[in-house]
This record gives sequence, C-alpha cells and structure tokens, in this order.
Amino acid sequence: MRLRRNDNTLNITALLLGSFFLVAVILPLLRMFAACLRADVGKIFINPVVRVGIANSVCVALCATGLAVALAMLLAWCIQRTNVSGKGMFQILLMLPMLVPSISHGMGLVILFGANGRLTNLLGLSGGIYGFWGIVLGSVMYAFPVAYLMLADVLQYEDYTPYEAAAVLGLPKRNIFCAITLPYLRKPLINVTFATFTMIITDYGVPLMVGGRYKTLPVIMYEEVIGRLDFEQGSVFALLLLLPALAAFLIDMLCRTYAGINFASRSFCIKQSVFRDSLAMGILAVVSAAVVYPLLSFVQLSVASRYPKDMSFTLRNIISTIDKGALSYLANSVMIALAVGAIGMTAAFLCAYLTVRLPFRGARFLHLMAIISLAVPGIVLGLAYVMFFKGSFIYGTMAVLVLVNIIHFFSSPYLMMYNSLGKLNPNLEAVGATLGISRLRMIKDVILPQVSGTLLEMFAYFFVNSMMTISAVAFLANARTKPVSLMINQFEAQTLLEAAAFVSLLILIVNLAMKCVIYLLKKLLQIGNGRNSYE
Amino acid sequence: MESLIVSGISKSFGSQKILANVSFQVQPGEFLSILGPSGCGKTTLLRILIGLLPADSGSITLDGADITQQPPDKRSMGIVFQNYALFENMTVLRNVEYAMRLRAELKAGARQRAMQLLAQVGLSEHAKKYPAQLSGGQMQRVAIARTLALRPAIILLDEPMSALDVATRLALRAELKRIQQHSGATMIYITHDQEEAFAMSDRIMVMGAGGKIHQLAAPAEILRTPADDYVRAFVLDNLQIKIDSLLKYAVK
Repeated sequence: MRLRRNDNTLNITALLLGSFFLVAVILPLLRMFAACLRADVGKIFINPVVRVGIANSVCVALCATGLAVALAMLLAWCIQRTNVSGKGMFQILLMLPMLVPSISHGMGLVILFGANGRLTNLLGLSGGIYGFWGIVLGSVMYAFPVAYLMLADVLQYEDYTPYEAAAVLGLPKRNIFCAITLPYLRKPLINVTFATFTMIITDYGVPLMVGGRYKTLPVIMYEEVIGRLDFEQGSVFALLLLLPALAAFLIDMLCRTYAGINFASRSFCIKQSVFRDSLAMGILAVVSAAVVYPLLSFVQLSVASRYPKDMSFTLRNIISTIDKGALSYLANSVMIALAVGAIGMTAAFLCAYLTVRLPFRGARFLHLMAIISLAVPGIVLGLAYVMFFKGSFIYGTMAVLVLVNIIHFFSSPYLMMYNSLGKLNPNLEAVGATLGISRLRMIKDVILPQVSGTLLEMFAYFFVNSMMTISAVAFLANARTKPVSLMINQFEAQTLLEAAAFVSLLILIVNLAMKCVIYLLKKLLQIGNGRNSYE
Repeated sequence: MESLIVSGISKSFGSQKILANVSFQVQPGEFLSILGPSGCGKTTLLRILIGLLPADSGSITLDGADITQQPPDKRSMGIVFQNYALFENMTVLRNVEYAMRLRAELKAGARQRAMQLLAQVGLSEHAKKYPAQLSGGQMQRVAIARTLALRPAIILLDEPMSALDVATRLALRAELKRIQQHSGATMIYITHDQEEAFAMSDRIMVMGAGGKIHQLAAPAEILRTPADDYVRAFVLDNLQIKIDSLLKYAVK
C-alpha cells in the first residue's frame, strides 16, 4: 500500500506540474496569439519603420551568426584538437561573456569604440561604433560563447575510430575531412547556427545600446510596448520573433535524435605539432584579450574620474551609483535569482524524474512543456506575461518576475537533469520496489545523491541567467521590483555610463562568486561521496 | 517451502500479444530455467511474476495464497538484473544492508547479516568499496547478496550473466548453485543460452514466440525426447553446433 501512496504522490506532482505549465506557458501564449488576431496586421507591415526593422534584424543576425559560429568553431578546434597549454584558463575566460547581460556587451563597445571611446581616440577612428557593425560586433561577443560551448562539446565526444580506420586505409587528409569530419559536424553545425541566429535576432540589449538609428525588430517592439503601450502591435512582432525560435527548436529536436545514437567509443588522439599549437595559442590569446578588455573597461570606467580624459582613481562613481539605489536593486536581483534557482531546480528535477523514470501517460506532454521555452524568446514571454497576468494578484510583484524567469530558463536545466537521470540504471526503481523501498526514499537516498552535481549546475544556471536577463523582465518590473540588470539601460539612457558600467561589474562579480561557490560545493560533494558520479 | 503456481497468464502491449495463457508450476527449492530466444516474452513473464508489471489475465499463487494483486515487496521474491542495478552512491556493505535497515524487524541484525552474506558470496574484503570499483562478476555477486538479504522464497534472475566474460560466467554458475543449496531458495533463471540452462537447471522451460511453452522438463528428458521441431531446432541443434565446433578443434 505504501508503494501506491507514493505513486499517488507522484501522480499528483505530475498533475501539479502540468497545471503549472498550462498557467505559466500555454495560457499566456494563447492570450498573446489572441491579441495578434485583433491587430491590424496589414497596417503594421505597410509601415516602413517595421519593414526596415525586419530587414535590419535579418541582415544583422545573418552576418553576426556567420561570424559567431565561425569564431566558435575556430575556438572549439583550438581547445579540442590541439595540445595548447592553459586550456583550463582559456575556457574560463571564454565563458566570461556569459556572465553579463547582452546590453553590457553593447556598452563595452560604446566605452571602447563609442564617439569618445578609449580605442576610438587611441586609434584615431571616426564615426563611432553605432549602427550595423556595432550590433554585429556586440552580438558576436554575446552569442559566440554559447555556440563555442555547443561545438566544443560535439568535438569532445567525436569518435576517433573512423580516423584510425582512414589512416590504416591510407586516405588523403582532404578525403578524411569530407568523408568523416564534415558528415559528423553537419547536423550539429546546423543546430548551432539556428540557435545562434535565434539568440541574436531576438536580442534587444545590444541593438538598444549600439544600434543608434539602425533599429532592429526587438527594439521596435520594445519601444511599441514600453513607449506607446501598444500591446497588439507588440504581439505581432512577438509572433514574428517566434518564427526563427520555433525553427531552431524543431531543428534542435531533429539533431538531438541524431546525436543520441552517436556515442564516442574512443576519444580523439591529438598528434604533436608545435606550429599548430602556437597558432592556437595566438588565436586563444587574441580572443581572450578581446573578451576580457571590455570587462576590464567596466572596472576602469567605474573608478575613473572622467573617462577617458582623466583616468585618476575615484570612488565617486561607485558611491553615486549606490546612492541611486543600485544596491537595493541588486538585492532584488539576488532575491529573484535565488528564488528562481531554488524553485526552478526543484521543478526541473521533479519534471525530469517524472518524464525519465516514471512511465505514465502524460510524460510526453510534460516533456514537451518542459522544453517548449527553448522556442520562446524572453522578450516574447515577457509580453505574453504582461497581457495574461495584468490585473491579477501576481502582477507587479516579485513573484511574476520569478515565474517568468523560471519558465524562460527552464529547458536547459531540465535537459541537464533529463540526461543525468537517463544515464542511471533503469532498474533502480524496480529493485527498490522488490526490496520494499518506497519510491520517495529511493529518490532521497539513491537518486538525488547520484545527481547532486547536476542539481548544483542547474541552480547555477537559473541563478546566473536570472541575474542578467533583461528581455524577460523588462515589461514586468516596476520601480519596487526592478532587478539591477534593468538599471544598465536606464543609466545609459541618462548618459551615466560610469554607473551603467559599475552595475555590469556588480552582476559579473555576483555571477562569478556564484560560479565559484558551485565549483567548491561540487568539489566537496565529490570528496564527501568518494565515488564516480554519473554527471 | 513454498510452491509457485502460474495459471493462464496473458499479456499484450497494444495489439502485440506477448504472453498467451502461460501456465506452469515451480517446486520448492527448484532451479528452473526459462530458455527462449530474444523477444519471446521471458522478461515480461519475470516482471509479471514479481509484480513489476500487471498481467492482463491469469493468476499467480505462492504456497496456496493468491499473490496476483500483491505489490512486489509483499511477494517474498527477489530479483537480480543483468545490469546489476546497484546503488552506485553506496558502499558494497551499504547496498546489502540498506533494505534491511528500513525494516524494523531486521534493523538490529542488519550489519551482521550483510557481512555474512558478503562472506557467502566471497566479497568480505570488498565491503567498503563502491560498485564502480568492482568487476562485473563482483557486482553481480553484490546484487545476489542484496537480494538474499530479505530471505526471499523465490529468486528471479534475468539473464544475470549475459554481460560477463566466459571465465567469470563459469565461476558464477558454480557459485550460484552453491548459494541456492545454502539458502534453499527457489530460483527462476532466464536465459537464451542453451548451455547455461543445461548446466545449471533442475528443469528447463523452453519458450517460443508469444510466450508459448514448448516443453517443461528435466534437461535429460529434453535431450532424449524433444517435444517438437521447435525444441529440436532451438535447443538441440544449437547445442549440436557447439559440440561439433569443439570436436572439430579437438580433432585438429
């Protein structure tokens, strides 16, 4: 009977999660689609501003995606296919851009290449970075680490056996590349390209900061909703932005199926080559410097008396930013991020446990709901939430910000846990049932200890992304609940670049600290368990 | 000692009939092998016997009591899987004693009994190791010790040696028989390996497609009088091929 009671508990959990997704994903999106039907679509598309905005978005996204994926591929090759020293350090440096909001990348460019930027003056450039190339550069900085992570992962698990077979058969290098490497990379590359394109075309942080008069669709949408409160027109733009995201989502699904049947049987053997390693070292050093320099410029800007003319040290900027409420907004952000981390991690674990380890009718529906946020850009989700929750008790509170962040970032942590649980022995629960160990006790004593590392990674993912998101919360926050990331935009609009830089720095420091804490906790767990984990 | 009576068990997955009216009886202390090709329904039958899967129809009786609707932990049965299913985060000792510690009546002597069982399967010196530090054969011994901990009347073994090398399989065969004699438990052993079934069993149940039982008899009887062409082809011809191969190399 105890077993049945536990199964009932899990059935109720599945029902609750299903209802949660219904209220937090399906109904808000339906509400937004309904608003689209009321909008005068013909009039919207006749508007030259909109048409130019769409064309700008596509041009910028195509160009930035090409550059970001090429750069990511080059870096993944440097890390995974060479014997370059200091790989660990380079990997950390390449990940740093993922710890600050996209708007900060735009700001980094303004600080260095703006009309009065450090490098503009140093190199005697004119005109500034604003416009097409500014957005492209900022978007590359913002998107390449994600593309790099995905490609490095693909290269890391490539099976070396076909290369050995080709060497035995004496195939020329060109043929090896065409016959083995390209077919292996084809689908992951398509997947990465679409994911990067979606990331860039739906982002409004970079174009808002460095776009100038070159307006992209998300910026126009932002102005429509925030400036003119035209939700119907905004929802049409949101629907447009959903299209590439939906395409990326479907392609990701197809590529995942393909990747699932490819497992490495032998890790890659890297031959000695001083020239190749030197080249890789050069590439990694240049890119790392390009990544770190804008971040260092935040420090410089925060403590410079009058950037860039007077670089003498002062705390005046920091004190003035704090006086403007930066710390209380930071506290808002940390509270939201902690709540998103804790609730999101728990919900994603339960959801993954139910879909992976409990055969029940609703598992497929729950899985679809859990990964659907991959297809919904933050700005679209934010707008859907405004339209659906406006007037409800949750609107205008921290809770709605926590909710939107949980949904916005749900898919990746869910998939992390989905993979970890999938690797555990499929008969554990069956053994537990025959030994009279309840399902809940099995989860507590057997399952959770084996996926504790993944749980920590999930928490960190939710936390870090909630700390720096702008798109999902821009429409929902008010003066009382505003997270600190939104201050960057506000300070920049008031031409308070020093304050905006200090806020970016605060976010970077908090996120770095969280990453360090998670790293230490994982180390402690490994020492404590003294075992090989599945993660 | 308890006898197991399986009557008219049927099971379908969608439109696919896996088991059709399967009936047989197992005597107390017997070593019964269920021998059949992959996909004939052996594992489905095993999961129904232990209560991990409900049957569409039929009944299971243990020592006169109908256990068809009982949950797995109330059937006095234990199961050993091919892939061990050990608790990777627990030591070998903890794996064996864990279930006992959760039962009030067994909690007090759990540690002592776990050590006894580890001695019985020859793993005393590995008690503090984690499963990942053991070989396949050692992991399977831990799984057997864990199953024995709750003193089940019947132990079900789902192709427990399929993932092991030949030398380990031979050693484990002898050990399994010794454990059975020592514990007195009934064992139902699933395999698709004819040689394994003939080497270990008191009786063999030859299963074919749709869970059809072609013959249930002692090994010698199956060899002497195969029930039909299926038994002759699946069991005897396969054994003959192995013997022929061995003879060919012996002559060379």
